[in-house]
Amino acid sequence: MILFDGKIYESIEQNRLLDELAEKIPGILQREPLSPEIIIDAVDRLREDTLAGRFDHLLTSFPEDVVETYKLQAAALLSKEHLWNKVKTELGNTEEYVTDKLEGFSRIRVKKVPLGVIFHIAAGNMDFLPAYSLAEGLLAGNINILKLPSADNGLSLKLIMQFIEYQPSLKDYIYVFDTASTDIQGMRRMAGLCNAISVWGSDMAIEAVRGLAPTGVKLIEWGQKLGFCYVSDPDNVDSLDEKLTGLAKHIASTKQLLCSSCQVIYVDTDDMGKVKSFAEKFMPYLQKAVDANRSQEIGIRARDTLVAYTARLKRYLGEEEVSDNVIRGKGTSLILKSDSKLELSPMMCNVLVKPLPKENISKVLYEGRYYLQTAGLICPPAERKELTDLLIRCGLIRVTSSSDMSAYFPGESHDGEYALDRYTRIINIQEDVL
Amino acid sequence: MKLRHRLFATKDPYDSEKSGLFLDACKENFNYQITHCEDYKKICTGLKMNSSEDIRSPADLPILPTMLFKQHKFRSARPFIVATSSGTSSGRKSVIGFEFSAAMAALRMSLKVTKYHGVISMKPCRYIIMGFRPTRKNKVAAARTAYLTTFLAPAISRKFILKPTPEGGLKPDFDSIVEALRKYEKGRHPVRFMGFPSYTFFLFQVLEERNIFFKLPKGSKIMLGGGWKQFYQEAADKETFYRLAKKTLGIEEENIVEFFGAVEHPILYCDCSHHHFHVPVYSNIIIRDPDTLEPVPNGTTGLVNLISPLTKATPILSIMTDDLGILHDGDTCPCGVKSPYLEIIGRVAPDDIKTCAAGAADILEGVKV
Repeated sequence: MILFDGKIYESIEQNRLLDELAEKIPGILQREPLSPEIIIDAVDRLREDTLAGRFDHLLTSFPEDVVETYKLQAAALLSKEHLWNKVKTELGNTEEYVTDKLEGFSRIRVKKVPLGVIFHIAAGNMDFLPAYSLAEGLLAGNINILKLPSADNGLSLKLIMQFIEYQPSLKDYIYVFDTASTDIQGMRRMAGLCNAISVWGSDMAIEAVRGLAPTGVKLIEWGQKLGFCYVSDPDNVDSLDEKLTGLAKHIASTKQLLCSSCQVIYVDTDDMGKVKSFAEKFMPYLQKAVDANRSQEIGIRARDTLVAYTARLKRYLGEEEVSDNVIRGKGTSLILKSDSKLELSPMMCNVLVKPLPKENISKVLYEGRYYLQTAGLICPPAERKELTDLLIRCGLIRVTSSSDMSAYFPGESHDGEYALDRYTRIINIQEDVL
Repeated sequence: MKLRHRLFATKDPYDSEKSGLFLDACKENFNYQITHCEDYKKICTGLKMNSSEDIRSPADLPILPTMLFKQHKFRSARPFIVATSSGTSSGRKSVIGFEFSAAMAALRMSLKVTKYHGVISMKPCRYIIMGFRPTRKNKVAAARTAYLTTFLAPAISRKFILKPTPEGGLKPDFDSIVEALRKYEKGRHPVRFMGFPSYTFFLFQVLEERNIFFKLPKGSKIMLGGGWKQFYQEAADKETFYRLAKKTLGIEEENIVEFFGAVEHPILYCDCSHHHFHVPVYSNIIIRDPDTLEPVPNGTTGLVNLISPLTKATPILSIMTDDLGILHDGDTCPCGVKSPYLEIIGRVAPDDIKTCAAGAADILEGVKV
C-alpha cells in the first residue's frame, strides 16, 4: 500500500507515483513551508480521539496493560503544550534574528528552515516509531517520504491517514511507501528525491543505506545502541531491593529490544565469584518480573522463546567459548562471562553479567564507543557523581537509575542530538544590502 | 543409511509398528550429522548431547529452529538438489541440500502417500497451477512441488496462473484461466488445480462475483499445497472453501486434497477423508511448551517440532517451526488411521518472518478485479 496525496494506492503503482512525486516536489518547495502549528494541531486531535477510545479497535492486538500505558503516555507526550516545548527545546530560538554589527563585515539574518525533503527509513522494533519519525520531520517543516518497516502491522498507515484527515493540507508533505528493503532500485529512487535520509536500524541497515545514498545527501543515522547497568559495591547501596526490582522490571518490560535496554550488567570486581554471587542474588528479582510480565498471548510467548533459543544456538556456533555459567530461570537467564566486552545479549530477558573493575571502564567503553547511549547505575550515593562523570567522559549520553533506563525524559536529546535540529538547516541572509 | 532405507521402504505409510525403526533411523542420522557437520557438533556440545546414547526418544534429539536455517547455512554432505524456502521480505531464506539417496527416499515416500490417498491416476488430465512456472534460476520449493505434482497423472496441458510482469514481478492472470476453463468444461478430461490455496480461493471469488459457474468433468480435483501456512491466515475458513469449490467449479469436497510439507521438513503430509493430517511413519511430531520447550501431552497447544531422518546433506533431523499447533490422538478420527494428527492453530507473533502465503497475499493486493 502506498499513501500519496492523501489517497491509498496499490504497491505496484510505486514507479508511476515516484515519477509523479519528482514532478510535484518543486511546486511544493516553491510555497511557504509548513508551519508547526498544523502538525501540532493534528497530533493534539489524535491525542483527544485516542483518549476518547476512538482507536481502541486498532489496539486490540496489544495486551490490555500495554494499551493503558500507551494511553497514559499519549496523554502527556502528544499534548500541544509538550509539543511546543519540544519545538522550543530542540530548535532553540526559532525566531529569526539579525547579528550584531562587526566593523568591516555585513550583518546577517539568521534563521532555521526545513532541509526540504526527508526520506525516513524506520525500524520495526518499537510500536509507532514510523509515525513518530514522520511527525518529527513534519514538525521541522519538511516534505516526508516514509518507507515502512517490513514488520509493520498497518497501524502506522492508519495513524498517518488520521493526521491527514485532521489537517488535509498535510497531504502534500506525506508520502508513505511499503517498499521491501530488498527493492534496491525503489529505495535508490526515493533516496534520489530527498535532501536527507533519516535511517533507524542496525549496522547492516545503515551500511546498506550508505551504499544507496547519492553523494551529497545528508545522512541522519539513528543507529543501534547497547545499554548496560553498572553495579558498584551493592552491599552498601540504600534500598538495594527496590533498585534490583526496578532493573528487573526494566529488563522484563522492554525485553531488551530497545537501544536503551540493559544488555549487560557489569559488576565492579575482577572476581568471577562475586559476579556469580550477584547474579544468584538478582535471579529471583528477574524471575518475578518476567513472570509478572509474561504475555497471556501464546504467540508472543512462543516467539520470545524461539528467538532466545535461536540466539543461544547461534552463540554455540560462534567461535566463543560456550559458557557453563548460565543461571537459567523460566523464560529468562543470566549468562555469566569473564570478559568485559560491551555486546548484544540474546535479548528476551537473557542478560549478560560480566566483571568490570572501575579502573577498566574507560578502556572497555572506548572499544564500544559506537554503541554507547544509556547506562543505569546501582551504587552507594557517595560514588554516584564520580561514576556519572566518568561514564559521560567515556561517551555515554544518558545516565539513569537502574529502573529508568528506557524512561522518556521531556527535553532529552536522542543519541546526543535533537532530532528537529538535525532536520533543519541554519540559513544566513546578508543584511545591509542596498 | 540402511535404517533410513528400511524406514522409507515401509509399505503402509501409517503402519503403527514402526516406532522402534524410526528411533533407530534417527540415531543413525544423528551419528552421521555429529561426525560430518562441524556446526551441528558445536550445537550438540552446547546442548550437552554428545552421543546417540543420550537419545532415548525422538524428543531428545537436538532441535534446530527454522529461524536458524534462515540465518546460518549448514552443510553435512555434498547435495544433489538444493532447495530454498520462499523468501521473506528481509531476504532471508533457508537453503537446504539433499543428497541423491534422500531424493530417492522422498520420491518413494511421495508415491506411497499419494497412492494411499488415491491421487495417482493413469487417466490423463489438464493441470491449472496456481503458482508460477519453475525455472532453472528459481529454486523456490513451493513452485517446484506444484510442478512436480503434475506428474501424478499424465498431463495433457499445464497452465500457470502467475505471469511475469514487465517490472520483473508476478501477477495473477485470472482472465486466461476463465477462458481455459470454458474450453475444458466441454472436454472429457478431468482438470486438476494445484498450488497456493490463496489464489485458488481468490479464483472462486472472481468466478462468483462475475456469476460464472462451471461443471468440470468427473474426476476433477483440487490439490492444495505449496507451503502449508495458508489457511489460518486467509479470511476464508475451510467450509467456505469447500462450498465455493462446489458452486463455482462443480468439484465435490472429497475431491479436494490438501498437502503440506516444508523445505526444512520435506515429508509429504496428505489429509485423510476427514481432512486431518495424520503423521506418517517417516516422521514424528512433538508439540512443545511455548515457555520451556518441554514436550506437552496430546491436545495441548504449543510449538511444532518436526522430526525426520530423511536427509543427511543438511542437519534437518529435528526442526522447530514458527507454527503453533495441537497433536490429536489418532483414534479420535473416524478415518481408520491410528497415528496422531496435527492441527495448525497459528503462528508465533511476527519477527520479520514471512511465509510464502504472505508473499502470495502481497501480490494479490496489487490486483484489481
